[in-house]
Amino acid sequence: MSYIELKGISYKYPVGDEKVLKDISLSLEKGKVYALIGANGAGKTTICNLIRGFIPHFFKGDLDGEMLIEGRDIREWEMGDLAQKMGYIFQNPFTQISGTKDTVFEEIAFGLENLRVEVPVIKERVAEIIKLFGLESLQEKNPQQLSGGQRQRVSLASIMVMDPEILIIDEPTSQLDPQATEEVFKIINIMKQRGKTIILVEHKIELIAEYADRVILVEDGKVAMKGKTKDILSDIKAMDHGILLPQYALLGYEMQKNDRLHEIPVTESEAIGVFTKWMAGKEN
Amino acid sequence: MEKKNVILSLYPTTKLLMILLIAVSVFIIPSYLYAYAMFLVCLVIAAMGNVTKEFANLTIKGLFSLCILIFVLQSFFYPGTHVLWEWGFLAIKQEGIHFGLTLTSKVIAVGSSLILFFRITPVKDFVYSLEVMGLSPKATYVVLSTLTIIPEMKKSSQVIMDAQKTRGVETEGSLMVRLKALLPMITPLVLSSVASTEERAMALEARAFTVNKRKTSIYSIEKTGRDSFIRVLLLVLLILLIVWRVAL
Ligand SMILES: Nc1ncnc2c1ncn2[C@@H]1O[C@H](COP(=O)(O)OP(=O)(O)O)[C@@H](O)[C@H]1O
Ligand SMILES: [Mg+2]
Repeated sequence: MSYIELKGISYKYPVGDEKVLKDISLSLEKGKVYALIGANGAGKTTICNLIRGFIPHFFKGDLDGEMLIEGRDIREWEMGDLAQKMGYIFQNPFTQISGTKDTVFEEIAFGLENLRVEVPVIKERVAEIIKLFGLESLQEKNPQQLSGGQRQRVSLASIMVMDPEILIIDEPTSQLDPQATEEVFKIINIMKQRGKTIILVEHKIELIAEYADRVILVEDGKVAMKGKTKDILSDIKAMDHGILLPQYALLGYEMQKNDRLHEIPVTESEAIGVFTKWMAGKEN
Repeated sequence: MEKKNVILSLYPTTKLLMILLIAVSVFIIPSYLYAYAMFLVCLVIAAMGNVTKEFANLTIKGLFSLCILIFVLQSFFYPGTHVLWEWGFLAIKQEGIHFGLTLTSKVIAVGSSLILFFRITPVKDFVYSLEVMGLSPKATYVVLSTLTIIPEMKKSSQVIMDAQKTRGVETEGSLMVRLKALLPMITPLVLSSVASTEERAMALEARAFTVNKRKTSIYSIEKTGRDSFIRVLLLVLLILLIVWRVAL
């Protein structure tokens, strides 16, 4: 039994007359980081909504096929259980603040209050997360007055404090500058270390090469390619689906024209390895 | 917020009852002088709560200009026979003035008491007290989202205005100029607000907002002896007002 499984999923939103997901089948394992990539409008967010159960619990519309979490159909899950099992971080940092809390500390506590956790336990867990994510300097601030990057980190903390097994993170850095992006990915990396299953939508291909275990390429509501990150991001065919390969892979292909490289690198450390080996070969 | 303050430290529902008494009393006592006096009462409460500036700003800028408009329209167009002043087809009638005074006094009393309530009560405290009273999360969400969408819309309208300014659309100056600038702004504003409401609802759901009817709260406020005292006082005042009305 897979941890998360989509079997022949097709879906149409209540408004709009075309199917936005077309016969999608995926099987996701526990504890891995999955990157969903593809052009805008390809259906990545819709897949996230489906896995989280917002489809069909929040968005109605026509859903065909089976969507299973731990072998149980999403339609049979209670919304409350899904809320505890899966955390969801949205693209827009400005709609994720509850709007009723006036310190970051209280904002992070909000989810636990809703889950009826005892007050002393809440305080302990919030303090722990703040320390883990290095948010000490923000904890007394008003969440409404934070920058986009700070809000996104607070959103991640607010979800992580609820200790979900699965994290769905939809373009968390699309509105952030490089510095804030790096801060967010530091946090995502901490979650990965903690063994969370992560479904990440992200456009910055270098970051995917660095952090994802598996890549799923979505195109026009279908899965165009899927596999190990290294295999997909070093595959020139991905370019046909509108994906720009990592700089290192492009460089590798460029060199491949004249010389033989033993592999195409996708991350910085792989590139260093491959090119060092290549140079050693030249010297001999 | 200063918790020692005699007004601010009251429990939200006590404040609400106080404001309701002010608003309702203008319908018990018909005199417009009484209703105008209620504005002064609100002003005194605002002063005691250290919010005079914000309160005066909102009432004078918003409420008073609206009331002057209502008053002028009523004094000209309300049907009546006692003409006080005439110029062409325009005539100010005694009945119109009286009606205008009665109407505006009530608008000012009710409007300023509502404004006062939200000046002296943080939204957070209000929502907290509603939840303690057992209001369901869905209902509190309605209260919440309406209260948070206003500053949010203000913010996004500023963003759109700035964008239009850089595109050369005049957004400052006379009323006409501003109105013209407002029109192309409304569509993106409404659309983005609707879209963000949907996302906001999902974001709340992601935080298990609708999972339990009752929640725990790391924040708490409590009623004190002063709340009970004020509540009794309000009840006595209400009875006195009714007696006054009957005796009139
Ligand atoms: N709430 C909605 N109602 C109707 N159509 C939608 C809705 N959200 C997205 N869509 C449509 O579904 C398609 C896929 O969108 P989405 O999943 O958001 O793509 P992505 O996240 O890959 O950019 C798009 O054509 C989009 O217009
Ligand atoms: Mg999307």
